[in-house]
Amino acid sequence: MLENSSILQFIVVSYLAGSALSFVPRHGKLSSVLIFVPSMTAAVFEIILSLGVLFGNPLKITITNSSFDLFGFDILVDNISAFFILVIGLVSFAVAMYSIGYAKEYHKKKTSFGFLFNTFLLSMFLVVIANNVFSFLVFWEIMSLTSFFLVIFDHEKSENLKAGLLYLTMTHFGTAFIFGSFLLSSVQTGSFSFDSFRHLENSNSLIKNASFVFALIGFGTKAGMVPFHNWLPKAHPVAPSNVSALMSAVMLKVAIYGLIRITFDFNTVTQEYVWWGVLITLIGAASSVIGVLYAVLENDIKKALAFSSIENIGIIFVGIGLAMVFNAYNLASLAGLALTASMFHVLNHAIFKSLLFMGSGSILFSTKTKNMEFLGGLAKKMPYTSVLFLIGSLSIAGLPPFNGFVSEWLTLQAIMMSSQIPDVLLKVLLGIVILPVALTAGVAAVTAVKIFGISFLSRPRSDSASNAFEVPRTMIAGMTLLALFAISLGVLPLIGINLISLAFDIQAPQRGPFDPISIQNTSGESFANLSILSIIMLLGIVAIGTYLFIRILGKNPQRKIYETWDCGFGKLDQKTQYTAASLSQPIRTIFKFLYKPTLTVNREPHSQSNKFVKKSSSVESKTIDVFELWFYLPATSFCIKFFEKIRRMQTGKVNAYLLYIMIALMLLLIFARFGS
Amino acid sequence: MFADFNATRVILGVLQAFLLVLFAPLITGIMKKVKARTQKRVGASIFQPYYDIIKLIKKDETVSEQSSWVFRLNPWINFVAITTATLFVPVVMAYSPFGIAGDILLILGLYGLARFFLILAGLDVSSVFGGLGSSREMMMSSIVEPAIFIMVLSVAIVYGGTDVSTIVNSAAQSPLLIPTTIFAAISLFIIILAETGRLPFDNPATHLELTMIHEAMVLEYSGKSLALIEWSKSIKQITLLALLINIFVPFGISSDVSALTLGLGLISFVIKAVLFGILIAFLETRVAKWRLFRIPDLIAIAIASSLIGTTIFYIG
Amino acid sequence: MMPQFDLLAICSAILLITTFAVVARRGFMDWLNAYRYQSIALAGVTAIIAFVTGIWEIYIAAILTFVIKAIVIPKVFLRVTGGLAIKNKIETDPYISIRSSVILSALLVVFSYFITEQFPFKFDKVVNAFLPVSISMFLIGIFVMIVRKKTLNQVVGLLILENGLFLFATSLTHGISLIIEVGIFIDVIIGVIISAILMQRINYTFDSMSVANLEKLRDE
Repeated sequence: MLENSSILQFIVVSYLAGSALSFVPRHGKLSSVLIFVPSMTAAVFEIILSLGVLFGNPLKITITNSSFDLFGFDILVDNISAFFILVIGLVSFAVAMYSIGYAKEYHKKKTSFGFLFNTFLLSMFLVVIANNVFSFLVFWEIMSLTSFFLVIFDHEKSENLKAGLLYLTMTHFGTAFIFGSFLLSSVQTGSFSFDSFRHLENSNSLIKNASFVFALIGFGTKAGMVPFHNWLPKAHPVAPSNVSALMSAVMLKVAIYGLIRITFDFNTVTQEYVWWGVLITLIGAASSVIGVLYAVLENDIKKALAFSSIENIGIIFVGIGLAMVFNAYNLASLAGLALTASMFHVLNHAIFKSLLFMGSGSILFSTKTKNMEFLGGLAKKMPYTSVLFLIGSLSIAGLPPFNGFVSEWLTLQAIMMSSQIPDVLLKVLLGIVILPVALTAGVAAVTAVKIFGISFLSRPRSDSASNAFEVPRTMIAGMTLLALFAISLGVLPLIGINLISLAFDIQAPQRGPFDPISIQNTSGESFANLSILSIIMLLGIVAIGTYLFIRILGKNPQRKIYETWDCGFGKLDQKTQYTAASLSQPIRTIFKFLYKPTLTVNREPHSQSNKFVKKSSSVESKTIDVFELWFYLPATSFCIKFFEKIRRMQTGKVNAYLLYIMIALMLLLIFARFGS
Repeated sequence: MFADFNATRVILGVLQAFLLVLFAPLITGIMKKVKARTQKRVGASIFQPYYDIIKLIKKDETVSEQSSWVFRLNPWINFVAITTATLFVPVVMAYSPFGIAGDILLILGLYGLARFFLILAGLDVSSVFGGLGSSREMMMSSIVEPAIFIMVLSVAIVYGGTDVSTIVNSAAQSPLLIPTTIFAAISLFIIILAETGRLPFDNPATHLELTMIHEAMVLEYSGKSLALIEWSKSIKQITLLALLINIFVPFGISSDVSALTLGLGLISFVIKAVLFGILIAFLETRVAKWRLFRIPDLIAIAIASSLIGTTIFYIG
Repeated sequence: MMPQFDLLAICSAILLITTFAVVARRGFMDWLNAYRYQSIALAGVTAIIAFVTGIWEIYIAAILTFVIKAIVIPKVFLRVTGGLAIKNKIETDPYISIRSSVILSALLVVFSYFITEQFPFKFDKVVNAFLPVSISMFLIGIFVMIVRKKTLNQVVGLLILENGLFLFATSLTHGISLIIEVGIFIDVIIGVIISAILMQRINYTFDSMSVANLEKLRDE
């Protein structure tokens, strides 16, 4: 049996080797093997390390080569880190396997891609095990920068550069807040070590609150929380699909990890701080609704998936917030339920979202487009991909018997359990949260329907779709792996739930993987049970019964293949079928306050004399992101005005600068006099 | 937990699910008959849905050449998911032995699974009708969801569970009306109309592209596939009615395993189900189909109703 | 924890449902019917309050409520609106859509339950049951008047508001002096008659019943 510390070294070395090997100039398949096999090895070691820590002891390594404790590397792999390492390991293994085939897309720039890919994975791994401010921020910054370079990997397109720049700005906006939050905490404890942050009980409540809000904004920006989400649907889709998978599935979870660290490890939420939980719940509910309502309108598969990441982060936030509220009222078992729900959703979202992003990558690989309006009929051309994509869609739609259903079920149960909170206002408020969450569940399902139905079913809508082909075997293998995870976590959710209760020290009764999940109400009766395994058996029995019934009654009727009914008007073709935009039109009409849809009809008359005969006519419909309109545009215009005012201070005269120095000095002196 | 999981109860549970499956087309037939009579028509026999199903199962089937395996698999998934959901609903006794495997959210999940494939099947045949039905169904199903879940919330907090057996048991032991349940019942009734595609949400009787939602999606089906879809629609309708009946008017439901009370439970259930069927049929004759974009108004009433019910329970 | 059957609570539920009928429907006849049923329920509630408190004056108030609000006012309304065009009787384009106003009204109900939650008269069953309902009727009445354009709808909103006030006074004080109540009733009738005349005039002047048109009267 290997020591945990040596496993950790293996992981770091494998990633570094992967980064280094990508500089070996070679062509063909071998080079992608050289790049991605080290990542896969590291992922396997990550899984081993995480299980080793979960079932064994935490691992602590301190590398301080200076007496000044600010710049030391301090590493701690505890149970919380171990859970997130597990998520990283599971997803990155599958993504790396997928990338071996997918790298053909990028064969010209494989070197830089391999380097960035491995460094990105390494930095995410290191962020979750960092144990002081310095190492956390360094790794966080490496993660942000490598992901930025991956986002602008196709830098020939100006739209990608624009998205990358937005991403860079927003992520540094977030980092500034994270830094602020850590600074505030360290002011209280006088140290930059995370160990000291775990003893914040007696600190000033004002500073604690400020530190929390900073952390929420900082990590929330990275996680794509509303209203700091606008970079996400722009940056994620333009990255290469395997990177989009990693960003959505893993990098967002690293931000969640940060939030969990702050709210559950460093602080314990008492009744004084119950509003933290309420705030996170409400923001989560808002994020989920807004994310999903924009997702359903998107015709770009990857953009829709990116919006749906915002939605899923929202659901995770709801669980985290509820857990904090329950904790504040000493309802430990309910807090455990809510936290389990949200962490299980972390795991599930990582699995199905990377599966779907990889699926969309396969579509892109095969048809060169990710716009649904040019797809269709892929189920016949790409049978394996279509089945795998369907599994991902069912899972993201939260339907039984897949894993998404279980975590959504747990989240809904946690919301219903808010009736046990003693405070009436909170009870009503958190009860109402079920409305946005339910709307999210409903719209998420139809979003999945739309993506799958338009891309894979009916007729091809363009030549590239009709010339589609099945993707290489390694890509299918990577996706199959995740689909298997999705199914097995759906059928036997207690595997995941037991791991989570181990990782987060939740006092849940440990039960075998075949037992149902059960929740009791206050009087000890069963509030709810869920056992997907039994349901699958029941479904199977009913299916067999139905089949036998139909066979016995129906003898052997023939099946005839014929064209679709066309009302007698003549041949139906690709233009007569429903488009992606028209499919979501009713939803667009109902929630038009969010989209502000505009429809412009351009008609060109045939000649001046006869205005009624049209030469050409086109219809253009547009929707607007109201957040851009109401939040970002005012904010940016304010900033521009503000900085223009500041620019006036830059007079260029030496005297003015001397004046500034003098004012600063005097302020400092005043602060020194009254501050202490 | 497995203590009360004995063979008699399991058999009874399966039997009451069978009862729903077999009884389902009859309710549809009765509703059609009542509608016909109120419109001064003679109408078909109340057993007509049975004849239709048997006839369709024996017939040949035509499948669109554009369709993929999703289209062919959909009727089976629909029927199996919806039929499995009946196992979790108490009918004549206030207990379903399968409550240890799933609750009311699972029933909704199974309906969601059925609907997922139904919408896909509508898109699969690449006809305009299918897409149109799918598009409308997408809208309906997504906005009806908040109403359903807040209704479940208000029922769950009153009766202490989302486990249907727990709910029906508590409801049967306290048969008196309280405001919260009145409000929840109003919303469930609206939800049933929406979920089963009755007027004013959807007109089950027409094949006009302007008015139909559900019928448009299944337009391309024939033979045994159509039989399965029609039957599963009836089963869904009676399952939801059984939920409404047993949660809000549980009088007469049997709470133990004896022949007498079970018989009473059966008779009272059949009477109540038929009465509700007639009520819905009368209502359908009275109202017209609403414009598609007015449907959210009705859903909003369901949401508001449950919301008030919840508040009254917490504060009132 | 199982609440017992509670006539008062059921009555408050009925009052709320009829209030919502006004918010959720678009047609004048629906509003009027809802108002009529609400007044009948209100009369019943008043009688119950009379029975609970044992003050005979409240019985008279109950009878008056029934006669005036459930019979006379709807009759008057039907008569004065008989000649109006159908487009003036249907609210087709309110400031806030019907669905949003239904949800907002529900939130108003939540709000009124919440603000009365820590009311000092909590021990009194009547106050407990009807105070939040009366406040929500009051608020929804104002809300209807704010968000609707058609004059008829606004008058109905006013009537609901008045019902809420009546319920508020009756439940809280167990019957203000009968003289004052009679005065209020006369007030209501006169209010209805004045608004009816006003409606006729608006209809005559603008050929429409939208309050939005009143803006045209403003001096530029």
